[in-house]
Amino acid sequence: MTTALEPAERPSPAGAGPVAPPSYLRKPQRRAGILFALPVIVLELALLALPIAQAVYYSFTNWDGLKATWIGLANYQRLFSDSTFWRVVLNNLLLLAAVPVAILIPLLVAYLLNEHVSGWRFFRSAYFLPTAISWVVIGMVAIRFFAVNGILNHLLDAVGLGEINTNMLGGELSAMAAVIITFIWSVFGTNTIIFITGMATLDREVYEAARVDGAGAFTTFRLITIPMLMRFIQFAFILTLITAFTALFSLIFVMTGGGPGYGTTTLEFYVYQQGFTVGAFGYGAAIGIILFLVVFAISLAQLRLFRSRLD
Amino acid sequence: MRLTRRQIGRAVVFAILAVVVVVMLFPFAFMAVTAFRSYDQYLLGSGFSLDSWSVLFDAIPVLQQLLNSTIVTVGAVSLIVIVSTTGGFAFAKLGFRGSGMVFLMVLAGMMIPMQSIIIPEFVNISTVGLVNQFPGAILVYAALGAPFATYLMTTYFRGIPGELIEACVMDGASYWQIFRKIMVPLAIPAITTVAVLQVIQVWDDLLVGLLFLQTPDVRTITVGLATLQTSRMVNVPALMGGSLISALPAIIVYLIFQRNLIAGLTMGVNK
Repeated sequence: MTTALEPAERPSPAGAGPVAPPSYLRKPQRRAGILFALPVIVLELALLALPIAQAVYYSFTNWDGLKATWIGLANYQRLFSDSTFWRVVLNNLLLLAAVPVAILIPLLVAYLLNEHVSGWRFFRSAYFLPTAISWVVIGMVAIRFFAVNGILNHLLDAVGLGEINTNMLGGELSAMAAVIITFIWSVFGTNTIIFITGMATLDREVYEAARVDGAGAFTTFRLITIPMLMRFIQFAFILTLITAFTALFSLIFVMTGGGPGYGTTTLEFYVYQQGFTVGAFGYGAAIGIILFLVVFAISLAQLRLFRSRLD
Repeated sequence: MRLTRRQIGRAVVFAILAVVVVVMLFPFAFMAVTAFRSYDQYLLGSGFSLDSWSVLFDAIPVLQQLLNSTIVTVGAVSLIVIVSTTGGFAFAKLGFRGSGMVFLMVLAGMMIPMQSIIIPEFVNISTVGLVNQFPGAILVYAALGAPFATYLMTTYFRGIPGELIEACVMDGASYWQIFRKIMVPLAIPAITTVAVLQVIQVWDDLLVGLLFLQTPDVRTITVGLATLQTSRMVNVPALMGGSLISALPAIIVYLIFQRNLIAGLTMGVNK
């Protein structure tokens, strides 16, 4: 199925694809082109382009949903003096710091999976399963894992470490750690699949040659697998980072509600709080624009990485 | 001797992978087992009971919300499939003045986080009176899912030879006929991938449902479940029952269409 999806010719990143028809056909073909493209254009203009333009505009106002007065850069200036905002940024940085872990564990496991021991197909399916599960459900179970009377403490009890009675969701930093552990668990399968796909493209003979030369498993991993998988690692890094910054709303909503305090409030959650709990639409829009700029920068970095590979 | 060392190595690899499976599947086992205990049995740690299911069904209209999820998901995914298939055909094979630029603009939509537009989007949708109406949520989901879907379809259509279309035009077929009779049938694998990715995306989403479908009778099951948790319900078995029932459709889709999911995921790197 994967191969079926790959186009025969390597497409250029920009839109140069359409066939050049004989000149007497050009006009009808172009008219058809506009008609066929119209639905997606209208949809995206009305429900994506318009609101992002509005968000930019309203981020310069004190909008409350009804009235909006132009206040210039006041919302953005307010961000700098808003200590909660910096607390929120710190949480995003903690997520960023977790991304290498969320990459390395799947990389190691994919390396082992690639040995194709019996049952590896089942293992792969089991690892990938959380991809289909909503963050809400994952958060529901995660609460019961980290709770005072939860699974984690039962496990500690069982191995004789009962005196370490954790209450991870009770403290600001430990709650963030709980969210991060849950996040790493959730993206594990996706990243493993990405690396397995990558390893399938590697030449097995290189490994044989390394084995003949007496290289151990770790040396092979470090000197052959990682360098040859670099573009897959970059892709997984960007995907995981964007997930961390823009897809954890539901998990946080269910698991911690952003608390305790602002312990687990990230940028995307702060937009929701300011917009829909406080009712500060203008300020919320400004935070949303900051988030957009961050994601935009990450995406541009990705484009540059992919470009540089083509050169 | 060398052979046995290799075998030991493989046994160790198997053991590590098996431990990881336990870590990945344990939460699902916990969810499934707990859902079939009463609250007392849950505290006790053993037993089997269907009590918590009635607690769950009393707390939220489960069947209604499952139906709501189905309506919203089918509606949004259909819309995404339609606009991305026609759009992909246009961008890949027909073209028009500035179509490359327009295509890039649509792709740029992938870079916009939902949270960055959600406030004006909510105000706009409520201005046209579509909050708490299925079409409102369906449109928002479609707009969020269409950019990636269009990218996927365009890439796929680019792989279909242009001579095929020229030949059909020579034979007097209209572009609509070419699309319906040739392009769509050829694109079934890509359409399936788009549909499966989006079904899971929409079914699992919280934020859009939370804001655009607020009253209990129009809520999706994912939102219904989240509101149970935030209403401080303490009956863990009932919560796990709700989790199980909301996850089950997505798990079934996953088990049937796993290959398409993987294909869609790896589209990004195989370029």
